Amino acid sequence: MIGLVLFIALIGFTMGRTRLTWAEKFLHDTFGAVQSVLYQPVGAVAQFVRDMGRLSEVYRENEVLRQTVARYAQDQMRYNFIELENERLKRALEFTERQKQLYRYRYLIAQVIGYSSDPYNRSFRIDLGARDGVREKMAVQTVDGLVGIVSRVSEFTSTVMPLTELDPNSPTAIAVSATALGKESKTFGVVDAYDRETGLFRMSRIDPDDPLEEGDIIITSGLGALFPRGIVIGTVVKKQVGDFGLTLTADIRPASAFDHLTEVFVVVVPDMDLAETEAP
Amino acid sequence: MKLRIHRTVAAALVLLLIETAVLPWLVPAAWSDRILPHFPFLVTLFVALTAGRHIAFFFGLGFGLLQDVLFYGHLIGAYAFGMALTGYLAGLAAYRLRPVPGLYVSMTALGGFVLDMIVYAIYRLFQVTTVSPFFAIEWQVLPTTVVQAALAAMLYFPFRRLLIRTVPASASQGSDERSASG
Repeated sequence: MIGLVLFIALIGFTMGRTRLTWAEKFLHDTFGAVQSVLYQPVGAVAQFVRDMGRLSEVYRENEVLRQTVARYAQDQMRYNFIELENERLKRALEFTERQKQLYRYRYLIAQVIGYSSDPYNRSFRIDLGARDGVREKMAVQTVDGLVGIVSRVSEFTSTVMPLTELDPNSPTAIAVSATALGKESKTFGVVDAYDRETGLFRMSRIDPDDPLEEGDIIITSGLGALFPRGIVIGTVVKKQVGDFGLTLTADIRPASAFDHLTEVFVVVVPDMDLAETEAP
Repeated sequence: MKLRIHRTVAAALVLLLIETAVLPWLVPAAWSDRILPHFPFLVTLFVALTAGRHIAFFFGLGFGLLQDVLFYGHLIGAYAFGMALTGYLAGLAAYRLRPVPGLYVSMTALGGFVLDMIVYAIYRLFQVTTVSPFFAIEWQVLPTTVVQAALAAMLYFPFRRLLIRTVPASASQGSDERSASG
């Protein structure tokens, strides 16, 4: 009975916390060191075996990629011109240093070192920690799109909460403000839930007059400046009227897989305070 | 028959590492949310069968807490509570029963089901998850239980060989002579 009371106290106490004590950090880091030795080699072997099994598919994929690269080369030139012009305009309009630095994100490449086997908390661990500049609530993405949010940080490793844990009813709820690719100024919604039963995200609080359509690619909007903008979340599969009939909700198919990950990027948003003190 | 407790702890640690770093690669992507066996739990039940309920309780408590802390997501304590309780109950149920493979496998199947349901209940109680119990059972608990029972069947003999110090029946009363030779 005393045990039960103690456990409920422990669970309640550990629920809203984000900081870790030194003991937890120590455990994280020691286990992280060994996990990193195991996870990556095993992953390499597993991927090699899988790749051997789908050689023909790789061949076709290669074709598609070559076309994409050709298109990228064209876009790169366009992008360079636009960026130059953008810089010039920002100077002409006397943007502050803070505004200029706003979208200059840094990407830290991290290796995944282990997965939790708790079905209601599919967190995974990465091999970068506070020492490498990782902080809580940073976005984590793969080349395909957003996968999660850094939830705990210790010195050498950190824990990432995948987006599949999004739940508006949870006491630790997090929501991602989002918009549609190509309709950035007209569309706005909040991705705040993942439905385990269908495998889809839900984007809510969409305006009834919103031009959002099925097949649109949903990206992070970056509004609020805590979360970087322009990371792909997924594709709209269905749009419907929300719970109270005032707003719309959309179902979104995730762009990125959440398992068998090896390499992820932690997106570092420029530190606002730092930029301001550096500005003349 | 006596459990080598140091070896058991080491085995559970190694198995925990395998569970978190190797096993995710062996489970196909479509099933990776559904098949989530817990190796330290298998060791806990083995301890419950061979060393009694009190040691199993502390064993489950320790490794459950380790699992909770290592992947500290929403809260700490779900696995510590679940594994300690199932370890204790398994020890209580298997009291004075001979630890044969069949008992171990059926105990793991039952215990695994109970553990997953306890963890689900705790997360549901604190509203971390909102899936219905039937969905949870069908989605995750049953596949995991089946795989866990199969793993238990595979691991029983290695466990017995590595973790148990067998005392020959003739030497059971002459423990002083064993300690002299050892």
